[in-house]
Amino acid sequence: MKPSVAPVAGANLNRVAAALAAALAAAAFAGTFFFDEVPPGLPGLGAVEFPRLICIVILALSATLALQEPPRRDPDAHAPDGSALAIWACCLMFIPAMALGGMLGTSAVFLVAAGWLWGERRLPMLIGISLAVVLCLWLVFVKVFRLTLPGGLLFGN
Amino acid sequence: MEAFLGGLAILADPYVMLMVLLGTVLGIFVGALPGISGSTTIALMLPMTITMGPIASICFLGAIYCAANFGGSITAILVNAPGDPSASATALEGFKMAEKGQAGLALGISAIASAIGGIVSVVVLIVAAPALARSAYSFGPPEYFALALFGLSMCAAIGGDSPVKNLIAAAFGLLLATVGMDLTTGVERFAFGITELSDGIGFVPVLIGLFAVGEMLDQAANRHGKAEIVSLEAARVPGRAEMRKCWRSIWLGSGIGTFIGALPALGATTAALIGYNETRRWSKHKEEFGHGSIEGVAGPEAANNAAVGGSMVPTLALGIPGSATTAIILAGLIVQGVRPGPHLFNEQPTLLYAVFASMLAANIFYLVMGLSMARLFARISLIPPAFLWPAVFVLSVIGAYGPNQSMGDVYVMLAAGVVGFLFRRTGFSPAPLIMGLVLGGMVEETLKQSLIIFGDDLSGFLQRPIALVLFAITAAGLGWPLVARLTRVARAA
Repeated sequence: MKPSVAPVAGANLNRVAAALAAALAAAAFAGTFFFDEVPPGLPGLGAVEFPRLICIVILALSATLALQEPPRRDPDAHAPDGSALAIWACCLMFIPAMALGGMLGTSAVFLVAAGWLWGERRLPMLIGISLAVVLCLWLVFVKVFRLTLPGGLLFGN
Repeated sequence: MEAFLGGLAILADPYVMLMVLLGTVLGIFVGALPGISGSTTIALMLPMTITMGPIASICFLGAIYCAANFGGSITAILVNAPGDPSASATALEGFKMAEKGQAGLALGISAIASAIGGIVSVVVLIVAAPALARSAYSFGPPEYFALALFGLSMCAAIGGDSPVKNLIAAAFGLLLATVGMDLTTGVERFAFGITELSDGIGFVPVLIGLFAVGEMLDQAANRHGKAEIVSLEAARVPGRAEMRKCWRSIWLGSGIGTFIGALPALGATTAALIGYNETRRWSKHKEEFGHGSIEGVAGPEAANNAAVGGSMVPTLALGIPGSATTAIILAGLIVQGVRPGPHLFNEQPTLLYAVFASMLAANIFYLVMGLSMARLFARISLIPPAFLWPAVFVLSVIGAYGPNQSMGDVYVMLAAGVVGFLFRRTGFSPAPLIMGLVLGGMVEETLKQSLIIFGDDLSGFLQRPIALVLFAITAAGLGWPLVARLTRVARAA
């Protein structure tokens, strides 16, 4: 169902993906040599054989992938712009920010910041909706499901 | 029969019925939201279901699964943006009908075909699942190993842009399943001394990360797309002549959807695409296809909803997921302490029949809602993404944290989100990774048990006819594309 478009210019994405998959599999294979020794006398496969077998399968499949034609470019996939990077940064900052604002306080700020970066410029509406969402989350998770959400220095303790 | 009546009695419990109703409304709601699929929603809702108990939770998740496929068709028809991937085939003819001023009719036939497809498949589920489970009583570890391998091999056809990529993703899922303590030897694997990893990688944070956060990161990068919208119309019940025209495609779609759904790994999207092609092939009005054919809406809609019941057959009877979404439901059952498989039909028949009855109820609920409230649900697609996606991220963080109250799970979820985004950008599908993760334990465990049975002699598999047949089907399925390509090359030469 995807429209037919030109192949990706530049690096063959399949080869990049294959190299990455092979590197991960090789690292995992090497990692199996650092497992503890299996106690003697146990029958059947030990702890390392199955992961090693999977790693070998991944290496073989990666080699096959590297030989394949480069994929067609998805016309809907845009390169991330500055705002997208800023939204991702907000997502990354969410966890450390929880130490200060707690999960609910951080959520309220995140919803406003990410919404603004997404392109929404009606600030009162953003603030109103973020507060409403946080209120719903509090009602559902804290009051109904009795979940203890992490608190922060400024909010939630 | 007694168990079935017991299942119906459970459904009479107002709490369970409320969960089915809530699941149906939520399913239509998220199905109508472009970008948020049924599988994403089920992954997000999984942590909430932990407090519900096994019956209410699987009824709730099953209802979301049933209704999301239908919900996706509403925006596919009115906005040309399939709310759920399984509705992509519906958009081909549905939006053309809407442009011709027949949006109401398209919505009406979509609701009816979806409900018929869904009900037919649940009836098949009621008949076939116990029979399959009975036949699986003779299965030992070698047969289950062969069956799990067959399920994994079907991942090749699950989606994404290359079968090899799907198999790589499935293999990484298997590798992820080995993280933590190996139960037979007590050796810790890939835990790196991190306590949280000793128990293995949880299903819930990986599911939420791959599906919800990965999609959110991708949507953040693609914020500029704008959907084309035609006038929102109420659904119209098709007349007798229109129904007569569509009967063949509805039954064809129902049959195809149930069969494809029952095959491990293949789900509603594949069923809908094949349902569309076969409806066109067998239609007496081929010239209408591409210009807004009502049969082109009925066929794929019946197929994608029939795949729901079909995919539950191997999931419940064998513990092998019939689709990516049922892999998530299977994970939900495991979290609840329920291990699907043939023994479940003896141990908890009432639970199973409650599930079947709840799926029937969900199909009837969304038929009524679809016919009466389609215009309202279509408005869901107008929710600004700037409000929607950040809220999805917040819900993902809480969902990952909730079950174990562990920040480690939140980190796993974030890492899985990045992987999910990279998968989308490089043509990998996240579904095979989930299949690998869910089936990983079974594959390793049954391989180890088989080798103990055979005294470490692999040729022991040759003495197990069922396992041999399954290995042969797996090999044929994996080797066929290569043989076909070589044949084409030879012919061209």
